[in-house]
Amino acid sequence: MINTEGAQGARRATAQGHHGPGGVASAPGSRRAAKAQRPPGDNAGLRLLARVDAAFNALYTWRGNPLYHSGALVVACFAVLMVTGVYLLLFYRIGAPYESVAGIHAQWWGGRWIRGMHRYVSDLAVVATLFHGFRMFAQRRTWGPRALAWVSGVVLLGIFFVCGWTGYVMAWDAHGQLLAVEGARLLDALPVFSEPLGRAFTGEEPVPDAFFFMNLFAHIALPVGIALFLWVHVSRLARAQLLPPKPLMWGAVVLVATVAAAWPPPLGPEADPLRLPDRVPTDWAYGFWLPAARSLGAGWVWVVGGGVVLVVLMVPLLTKPRAGTAPPPSWVNPRYCTGCEQCYVDCPYEAISMVERDDGRDGLVGLVDPAKCVSCGVCAGSCAPMGVGPPGRTGRDQLARVNDFVAQVQPGPRDLVVVGCVHGAAGRVAAEGAANAEETADAAEDARAAGRNGAGAPRTFTVGCVGNLHTSVIEYLVRAGAGGVVVAACPPRDCRSREGVKWFDERVRNGREAELQDRVDRSRITVVYAASGEARVLRDAVSRFRSRVASMDAALAEQDFDVGAECEVEEDAT
Amino acid sequence: MTVRRAAAAVLAVAMAAAVAFLSRVPSEFGGADALIRLSWRADGASVEACRVRPAEELEALPVHMRNPRECTRTPIPFALHVSVGGRPVVRDTVFPRGARGDQPVYVFRDLPVEAGRAALSVRFEPVPTDAADSRDQAPAPPPAASVAAAESAAVAVPVPAAASAAAWDGEVELAAGEVALVTMDERGTLVVRTPTARP
Repeated sequence: MINTEGAQGARRATAQGHHGPGGVASAPGSRRAAKAQRPPGDNAGLRLLARVDAAFNALYTWRGNPLYHSGALVVACFAVLMVTGVYLLLFYRIGAPYESVAGIHAQWWGGRWIRGMHRYVSDLAVVATLFHGFRMFAQRRTWGPRALAWVSGVVLLGIFFVCGWTGYVMAWDAHGQLLAVEGARLLDALPVFSEPLGRAFTGEEPVPDAFFFMNLFAHIALPVGIALFLWVHVSRLARAQLLPPKPLMWGAVVLVATVAAAWPPPLGPEADPLRLPDRVPTDWAYGFWLPAARSLGAGWVWVVGGGVVLVVLMVPLLTKPRAGTAPPPSWVNPRYCTGCEQCYVDCPYEAISMVERDDGRDGLVGLVDPAKCVSCGVCAGSCAPMGVGPPGRTGRDQLARVNDFVAQVQPGPRDLVVVGCVHGAAGRVAAEGAANAEETADAAEDARAAGRNGAGAPRTFTVGCVGNLHTSVIEYLVRAGAGGVVVAACPPRDCRSREGVKWFDERVRNGREAELQDRVDRSRITVVYAASGEARVLRDAVSRFRSRVASMDAALAEQDFDVGAECEVEEDAT
Repeated sequence: MTVRRAAAAVLAVAMAAAVAFLSRVPSEFGGADALIRLSWRADGASVEACRVRPAEELEALPVHMRNPRECTRTPIPFALHVSVGGRPVVRDTVFPRGARGDQPVYVFRDLPVEAGRAALSVRFEPVPTDAADSRDQAPAPPPAASVAAAESAAVAVPVPAAASAAAWDGEVELAAGEVALVTMDERGTLVVRTPTARP
């Protein structure tokens, strides 16, 4: 049985003092060295994200880390807003907006609590959306086929914002009046309306019921737009996970409900056009622009706000790699494709379809749509005959690489090899190892010279995603005589390929197609989930696994095992 | 483990409380001590100058465009003069809205003032067309010389009743944070409303 480790096990080991001399090579302290130790594609946002993720993993484990579920949390918030909104709607009256909301607020047993939930959840939705966007931006999941999701996400945030705006105006207290007046001032700055909209709120006449009707209509209709754009947002995802895990979802709901009951939001004084707003409790998720609007003026708000929105919308263009540096989309080699449909099923982006063959053979063959492929390489890990994947990252390419790796490293019967995702802890460790290559090599040489074979730092073999990793690579390392293989995967919900870790687990444990063969000694393999900021978790897992491997019989290398020959056999078979 | 769970619970509550606080951040929006807000709508008016087209000019036009009269409509702007405590604070000209100036006139502006009692004077009067023509924004009138040369009868339509002047003179007393609304009632008279003098 393959061992799986996460952050908790690593912490336990740390507490027990399991840092061994054979830990993964660590970095020297200089700034230049630290820069050299960054994995490819690293940026300041990613480093911040790695630290925050690691801290939350330490507290909530990767399964319960809310930061990994920020997008799904927004959908959960949307559902809660629908339910609580329907309740509030039962008591809302267009002809007496403030009085009806005051009536709701007076229901301390229900109305005030539910209004509090409605309001706090709307704020949580904005916070979670912003964090979700930040994660996608930091991880550069913004360009190419993902541009649609990015742009629709920005539109979604905009609709959410306007919907919340109308919600506050519905209450028609001082805060709602402020939003309405300043909103009208913004619109009046545009050369669109023949009559200044702001005059509706000066007190010349009572604010007409038609305004509150239109406002209520917008507040109810806009969620339809949210649902529509949510559909667009996830339209290129296979098996989109719209809701967070139940413990997290219900935990968040109960938490917000508790805070809403203990600390309900205030209802300000009724809107009065003949009184100036002074000290108004403001929702900064929806009213963050009010101070700027009042001090700078509507024109500047349009210029600055429009500029920010424009830049955010252009992120897919701004983050797109230069020509020639973007990872190429997958392709199918029809010679090896058996038409099994596994890549078609596993693709997290629905970029693969099955079409009739045109080479004279019966059956179907995979066809990759380059416009939808994000080059995650999950298809390469799913293809037993290694006939699909991004150029240079197919199963065959990985076997050729690992062949060279073994020839170079020559892992001994007590040596460990870390195989992992370049975006996770393995990638960081590999970068550190590259930065300290000479030191590591010297240390290993010294260890061998001292007769401590196997005590040297483990070597790291990275792939774009463990979902991209073909199980034959693991098999090859074990059969080549490595003492053990540590597969370092990102936490499943932080997989940049969405379902890469999930499918890898299935292939290794549950016999999913392109499975790890039964002949491979499972006791020499361990899987650890370690995010980019959790190199220590990986080191601790390596340390513990090293102890386990040390207690086993020395691994035996198959002398006549040759990857080139194996591939040739397969090619001949076709 | 217990410490970790306690820390996780504390952080969760803190995050929820932060979200709740985000929903109610006390924010200062004061800036003006008190405010005089001018807000009203007045029907626009215009002066129409017409001339009779000579026969030869009519014949040069397509048959369906042979209107014997050619009229030019000039919107009438309004002068807005406001003084507070005897000190002029607004001297401006307000033009009817619309690309052709055929929409109503809207006055909508805020005048920050100090709290207390002050004399307020508001004048809102149609500007004589000559004065209006001298302003950059006013549409140019038809050249008088060309009208004469065409031997046509120019007809100046007088200022309509709707474009009559309005004025308000008096004292307003405003406490800090109060707004005095100067508006126009349905009879075209300027009125002032304050929190203590609502309709």
